[in-house]
Amino acid sequence: MTDASLPTDGAKPQSGSLTTLDARTKKRNAAEKRFRAYGVAAIATGITFLFVLLFAILTSGLGAFQQTFLTVPVYLDEAKLDKKGNRNIDDIKKVSTFGYNPLIQKAVLAEVQKAGIETPLTKSKEMKALISASAAGQVRAAVIENPALIGQTVEFKFLASSRVDGYLKDRVKREHLARDKNIDAEHLDIVDGLLEAGVVAKTFNPAFIFGADASESRAEQAGIGVSMLGSLFMMFVVLFLALPLGVAASIYLEEFAPKNRLTDLIEVNISNLAAVPSIVFGILGLAVFIQFMHLPQSAPLVGGLVLTLMTLPTIIISTRASLKSVPPSIRDAALGVGASKMQSVFHHVLPLAAPGILTGTIIGLAQALGETAPLLLIGMVGYIASNAPDGIASGLLDPNSAMPAQIYEWAKRADPAYYERAWGGIIILLIFLISMNTLAVILRRRFERRW
Amino acid sequence: MPVIWLCVIVLAISIVGFVFGRQRALSSAGGDARALHSLPNYYGWNVFMKVTAPAFGLIVVWLIAQPLVIQNSIAGMIPESEIKEGSSIGLVMAEVRRTAEGLNNAVAAGVISEELSLDAGADVEALTASLKEAGQVVTSAITQPILHAAQAYRTMTSTGSLILAALTLLLSLGAAGFAIRQADKDYKARNTVEQGILALLIAAASVAILTTIGIVLSLVFNTAEFFRLYPAADFFTLLEWAPSFSGRGGASKLGILPLLWGTLYISFIALLVAVPIGLFAAIYLSEYATPRVRGIAKPLLEILAGIPTIVYGLFALLTIGPLLVSVFGDDGAGWMSGGRAVMTAGIAMGIMLIPFVSSLSDDIINAVPQAMRDGSYGLGATQSETIKQVILPAALPGIVGAILLAASRAIGETMIVVMGAGAAARLSLNPFEAMTTVTAKIVSQLTGDSDFASPEALVAFALGITLFVLTLALNVFALYIVRKYREQYE
Amino acid sequence: MSVKLTASALAIAAVAATSAAARDQVQVAGSSTVLPYASIVAEAFGENFDFPTPVVESGGSSAGLKRFCQGVGTEHTDVANASRKIRDKEIKACAENGVTDIIEVRIGYDGIVFASQLDGPDYSAFTQSDIFNALAPKVMVDGKLVDNPHKKWSDFNADLPAEDILAFIPGTKHGTREVFEEKVVAAGCEATGAFEAMMAAGMSEDDAEDACLEVMSDGRAVDIDGDYTETLASIDANANGIGVFGLAFYENNTDKLKVATMAGVEPSTETISTGEYPVSRPLFFYVKKAHIGVIPGLKEYAEFFVADEIAGPDGPLAEYGLVSDPALVETQDAVAAEKTMGGDS
Repeated sequence: MTDASLPTDGAKPQSGSLTTLDARTKKRNAAEKRFRAYGVAAIATGITFLFVLLFAILTSGLGAFQQTFLTVPVYLDEAKLDKKGNRNIDDIKKVSTFGYNPLIQKAVLAEVQKAGIETPLTKSKEMKALISASAAGQVRAAVIENPALIGQTVEFKFLASSRVDGYLKDRVKREHLARDKNIDAEHLDIVDGLLEAGVVAKTFNPAFIFGADASESRAEQAGIGVSMLGSLFMMFVVLFLALPLGVAASIYLEEFAPKNRLTDLIEVNISNLAAVPSIVFGILGLAVFIQFMHLPQSAPLVGGLVLTLMTLPTIIISTRASLKSVPPSIRDAALGVGASKMQSVFHHVLPLAAPGILTGTIIGLAQALGETAPLLLIGMVGYIASNAPDGIASGLLDPNSAMPAQIYEWAKRADPAYYERAWGGIIILLIFLISMNTLAVILRRRFERRW
Repeated sequence: MPVIWLCVIVLAISIVGFVFGRQRALSSAGGDARALHSLPNYYGWNVFMKVTAPAFGLIVVWLIAQPLVIQNSIAGMIPESEIKEGSSIGLVMAEVRRTAEGLNNAVAAGVISEELSLDAGADVEALTASLKEAGQVVTSAITQPILHAAQAYRTMTSTGSLILAALTLLLSLGAAGFAIRQADKDYKARNTVEQGILALLIAAASVAILTTIGIVLSLVFNTAEFFRLYPAADFFTLLEWAPSFSGRGGASKLGILPLLWGTLYISFIALLVAVPIGLFAAIYLSEYATPRVRGIAKPLLEILAGIPTIVYGLFALLTIGPLLVSVFGDDGAGWMSGGRAVMTAGIAMGIMLIPFVSSLSDDIINAVPQAMRDGSYGLGATQSETIKQVILPAALPGIVGAILLAASRAIGETMIVVMGAGAAARLSLNPFEAMTTVTAKIVSQLTGDSDFASPEALVAFALGITLFVLTLALNVFALYIVRKYREQYE
Repeated sequence: MSVKLTASALAIAAVAATSAAARDQVQVAGSSTVLPYASIVAEAFGENFDFPTPVVESGGSSAGLKRFCQGVGTEHTDVANASRKIRDKEIKACAENGVTDIIEVRIGYDGIVFASQLDGPDYSAFTQSDIFNALAPKVMVDGKLVDNPHKKWSDFNADLPAEDILAFIPGTKHGTREVFEEKVVAAGCEATGAFEAMMAAGMSEDDAEDACLEVMSDGRAVDIDGDYTETLASIDANANGIGVFGLAFYENNTDKLKVATMAGVEPSTETISTGEYPVSRPLFFYVKKAHIGVIPGLKEYAEFFVADEIAGPDGPLAEYGLVSDPALVETQDAVAAEKTMGGDS
């Protein structure tokens, strides 16, 4: 090299060594670090939001899994329950739950006096505030099932009223009782006493997970089990319809469709349907499935069909993305060894795209599982989930609710005990969601590949 | 014969046909599959397809056409005198159908005999009583002409089903015979079957169109009714949304513009939150993160998408709202008066949308070929430069698609808006004021207590169809953009 | 592929074929205000009768009546709950679809109360005039009708706290809004003399009546389109706010809310049933007569609903917050006789 290649005077010499960084490289490296930090920050923000949400949900909802019970021996008075004394089931049935209430209240009062609690409440009627309204139904059902119990003293485990339960869960505070006409401070003194005597106990309540919905006045009895079944049947419908339909449509659009007006029309339609508010699908479901096809109202089948139409675009869009990500070389190779276009797609492209399709399907199902608005219009919100279905046909066709609809309904109800149950329901819903996601992650991990 | 059994029989025939078709093809090639034009199963599928497709097609067409034909001929039987003042032929026909169904069910339940149900001179009152007893819905006493019509209806329906069954069986057997005869070693079974599959794929893709048609149809009649009661010009141009509770006055002002503004404003803020966080998260996950981090972070983020929107609504109302008020409210900047605001709903919605942006963008960034990265590194670019200048431009159309998907979720979101943004329709630029959206109003007008035939309730359908048309236009535009700048690799 | 599709098509066909079978439980739909009461009745009905528990859907009086009026037959609902009377136009629409014989049942009254945060400012006594002065766009100041100048409650009534006016009122979709407007705002309008002033200013009677119902939309009156839980959450977040609630909702949430008297009367089931407390409305349900005797348990459900032990002053409905109808006996008789609206069959 000659002198001419040397830097001229005044200009900084190019850095001679690769190990010392010049300003520009430093700047570039700093930009690199910054960029990376943005990414970390973004993920951290997202996950922080998640944990804040989860924390809020858990603190508000865990209480719903426990419930307060009273264990009380009840004397089933023949004079009240079977006046004729001939154990005729029809006569016994004539005594309504209102006839059972006095017996139960008397039994509770006896228990209170046995425990030696000093209280100004000495009438059995005043014990009403302590026990759930479901107690009478519980005793009546037991008596009807076994009329021989009449005349005996039988021990029952009753639900405590939602106020008593709330007191043990710190939701009902003594200082707020002055205007509460449902329960008085004296009642809470009794509860304290019974708690010591072991008559009242707070235990895990499986009925919340497996039970049916209850009316407004019996928050303590409500469970999410029946609506869980409703959701389950709806998800079956969605999975069995949306997945095959969505995959078939995606394959056509991505692999076969000629570029013409019809294809354009379908594409625009699909991306547009993804944007249509879910409530509009509710209007569609009401008009088409219920009013036109005469499918029964409030049926999980109809809910499933509506949710299928709603999730279809989501599944199609993500399936197409994952079909697109399979490199053309795979198709070319298959075609090269003599496969038809159809065979190359079904035997090679589709299996390779399966993990992506799975991701999309899960997001779609999750979306469907948590959707409330369309169900509102096809009659799945209200006091619906009161009877568990007894079989597949009944599961699909009998009126039922769905988990999010049930949660929405509970969140609206007046008794604050329902508020806790709504959050508890959300916990269960999330458990489903997280297990679905975990399954998908495991599947995706095993099959994900990078081209 | 119930249709369900017919379908089962057709399926049975086609399965038998499958076996025969496959065997025949194989034997035509002397048992050597290599001599066949297509794989042996294709011959079976060929038969299966040719049996099921026309048979099911016939059943569907017949089931749609039969009631129409019968309805027409029965309608002619009903004398004018039966159509009461204020009633219509449709109503009488509904009565006839109900009676016929009632007769069917009653006969099935064994309450009345087949002869009695066909007896034209049967005592109408006794029949009504026994129908009620059998648990059938009967509005009022059945009259003689209606009973006649109902009996004719029953006869025609059962004859129709018989003909259908016979035709279907003949058709499927004939098709099976024809298709099995086709099964020869030189027959291009694969091509035929593939064409059939292609038809199925097209049909699946058309479901989207059918859904759209269904939506439009279910909205359009009520919308027309609404515009009959309320001037369309006011609906589209009025700057005020103030429905009065129906039943008094009629002084409702139902302008859509404030609602549209609220919708777009809230969606915009939601995207402002979701797109940067989601995009950076996607970039980090796909380009920087170790497989372990990715394996944990990605599903965690996806949980955000699955949290029911009502939770976000409560979160917005109870956490975000008060937080914003403490910063921007009277004690702070003084811009905000209540917890419900565009910002409150926007932020909650943004959090919900993060995984929509991140998961889809992540997949798309992953799909950019590794060769492009390697090329960029080879030229000395740092990782972030590669991402900014090579990967993102390459993935842009897909990312735009993901953002559009998120945007469409934002526009269609209801619960968060209802709880977080309030119900006040307002045209304002201040993001700390309460506003509302089209979807929130659709829900509230549809689930309200107002008179269902009033413009206040029907406006929901007009709102629905406007939103539908709007998103359609947006999507056509977006698709155009994506197409124009799309790049294909390899 | 094709197998899957045919299988699913078959499944739908099978289901559609069986769905024609008769329904065996009563289906109810309608107002979310009536839902709590209907659900209590339905539950007790399921416990005490051999019939299955009725299904009660919410979704608003509008949707409930619309579904009710869609026709006669097992695929249509049997009972519609409503927080208002059925309107003439709706009766006509019903008749067009063949739903002619409708039994109207009034189950009792729903009190509407004003409540605020328990630890918040001392809102303890309102009159209709206070609410009108706070929320109406035009009010009377010194005998003249002017644009509302009030910012704080104390601006027009020294007994009220000096807090910014903020009220969470039912949205225009709610039946409660009608009661709020007519029994509170309009009453205040007349009491303050604003109505007369409007008439004197040359407005026609109808226009003045409409103007009397108006509520300002500058943010001091916040429409709540959701349920009372939403109003409660808003009150929680805004200490200076007052909210409009149903009596039953308030009584279930006395640990968070304190109630204000209206015109000096404390709201309670007693004061409302005597008519002392001015803000209340009747609640209804409507029964399709053509379904009686067809849907098992329908008549029993209607009778059970209005029976003394349920809807009476000591029954579970009153306990929950429904104000028992003093004329319950007449309602019971009407239900027993299946007395339809307009007719006497």
